[in-house]
Amino acid sequence: MNNEWLNNLRSRMDDHEEDVPEGLWDDIKDELFSGEENSIIPGFIPEVQDGEAKKDIGRKILFYRVGGIAAAIAILFLLTKIWPQNDPERRMSQKSEGVRNEEKKNSLKPIEAEHDSNNEVKTETEAFLADNILNTGSPEKITAQRYAERRVENQVDNNQKIKDIFKLPSASESFQQESRVAYNVPSIDDTVKETTKEQTSDEVLFKEEKPKEIYADNTKRNTSKSRNKKSWMLSMLTGNIASNSAEQQFPGYASITGKAMNVEQVFIASDYHDDPLMAILLANQSQPVEARIRHKVPVTFGLSLYYNLGKRWGLGTGLNYTKLASELHSGSDNNYIKGDQTVHYIGIPVQVNYNVIQKGRFTGYITGGALVEKPISGSVTTTYVVNDEMKESSKERLDHKPFQFSVNAAAGLQLKIVDKIGVYAEPGIGYHFKEETAPNTVYKEKPLHFNMKFGIRVLLD
Amino acid sequence: MEESKEQILVTHLLKKEEAAWKELFGAYSRNLSYVCSRYLSEKEDVHDVLQNSFIKMFRSIESFEYRGSGSLKAWMTRITVNESLKHIKQKGDFTSAVEVDDLPDIPNEEEPDFEEIPRDDIMMMIRALPDGYRTVFNLYVFEKKSHKEIAVLLGIAENSSASQFHRAKGLLAQKIKEFKMSKKSTI
Repeated sequence: MNNEWLNNLRSRMDDHEEDVPEGLWDDIKDELFSGEENSIIPGFIPEVQDGEAKKDIGRKILFYRVGGIAAAIAILFLLTKIWPQNDPERRMSQKSEGVRNEEKKNSLKPIEAEHDSNNEVKTETEAFLADNILNTGSPEKITAQRYAERRVENQVDNNQKIKDIFKLPSASESFQQESRVAYNVPSIDDTVKETTKEQTSDEVLFKEEKPKEIYADNTKRNTSKSRNKKSWMLSMLTGNIASNSAEQQFPGYASITGKAMNVEQVFIASDYHDDPLMAILLANQSQPVEARIRHKVPVTFGLSLYYNLGKRWGLGTGLNYTKLASELHSGSDNNYIKGDQTVHYIGIPVQVNYNVIQKGRFTGYITGGALVEKPISGSVTTTYVVNDEMKESSKERLDHKPFQFSVNAAAGLQLKIVDKIGVYAEPGIGYHFKEETAPNTVYKEKPLHFNMKFGIRVLLD
Repeated sequence: MEESKEQILVTHLLKKEEAAWKELFGAYSRNLSYVCSRYLSEKEDVHDVLQNSFIKMFRSIESFEYRGSGSLKAWMTRITVNESLKHIKQKGDFTSAVEVDDLPDIPNEEEPDFEEIPRDDIMMMIRALPDGYRTVFNLYVFEKKSHKEIAVLLGIAENSSASQFHRAKGLLAQKIKEFKMSKKSTI
């Protein structure tokens, strides 16, 4: 039997009308416009319902607002985690300089003894080092404390503002004391110490005076200033350690690949002073140097196709774009090599979604899946900075780009814009399988890491 | 581009003007009554569902998007159908009717010719279909839903929707035939 007659039936009936049930408009009017009406009998009850209706709308609006605010907070939170990385890091490196200075001093004590006129400082150092042995806790904790302390010292201005918001005075006292002691613990392990010594041994003769000054200076500040500071940075830091962008630190110079640079070779090879690298090396001759590579949190933009499997489950695929950025800072504070590496990935994800909650235009869901990514382009910009002046900048492309496989899980919030199209934000966690030949990115340095995805999702039926 | 009458009406509806809503009611309530009656056999149910539908329209008119002439009617019809389905589910009419599966298969016949049958009579026949069949039939024929969509809407299996539709179709064809026979005999 052909269904054609059904189509005819539909078109035939299209404009058909039936009698409207009696009194329908009056009832609707009472329900919707009762406030303006004088009809006494039905007017009373509908008014209550009208109020309820308004409450309902109000609740809806409230929900959107709360949702919006929550999303904004989530994004802000993530941003703040990405941002303050720079400052604390600088502090950290300075700290290590300080530590290294101590080490230098200690390792060179026999030599110094002959020249040294400042025995008091030395005994003080020894006393502190003794303390340190007793106080050697977990290295992480110590780093954290030093880190926090440094920040406190050097960034009073900046902190002041934030401190007003994040005051945690109760915990600060004990923490400060602890950190004062911990400050002097050389947390770098023995091998690192060895290299540091080696590196600096050549320069020892010029440097005797300097480390001592720094050291004395530091201790003084520790005991006086830092005691008053608040410890809010601690939480920030633990957050960073636990989750955020990965960080690599090396003594001496390094390139963005994470490989140490052989300084000796450069010294021997280049005998003209125009070379910016040479200039940096010369300028830092009498200073401790260190290389830091910081990988920023990967941010992913995606275009997703979503296929509904029943009410709550869904299957998604699409196209992802991820930008991975890493920074290299190698050298001292004023003279350094700065490297910026950017790698762009295009990936195809396969995700399974489970909708946890659906309210109006918002959908909250959890998702898990796998992703294959291919770097489409990458570049490294190297800048040489001597005495805070940019000397030379060069850019080179990365050419080895292997595929990258990963698995991930995330919780997401989606806002439907129009029928079948929505925008989403997904903070999540990913694990990238190590690929030795890949560029040195956060994927490689920290296979398990947090990420943030944004995108547009198209619903397929 | 000049705003159509429909768009002008919508702008007034958005302001929640009573006159505009009265106009809307006047213009569409008869057609919506038909839509609603297709799904519900009881007059009181039709009244309740239509009332709820208009209240729903009133509250969600902000979400209406004008997509050309007729889109307002389509939007209102969608709401009315949804409200009708909600009502059917609540009353449990539907689930009980689904189990009426023991009707014999109606053999395929030639296309029924209903051109000469008044629309009111066709309406009567549709309403006389068992509730479950009628719902599926309505959704498939008049709302142009696929069996997959119907299955989701009603919470039944896809092939259940297809088989119910098939039987509804057969029943209706039979009714049309019977109607014509009876007419002939009266003449």
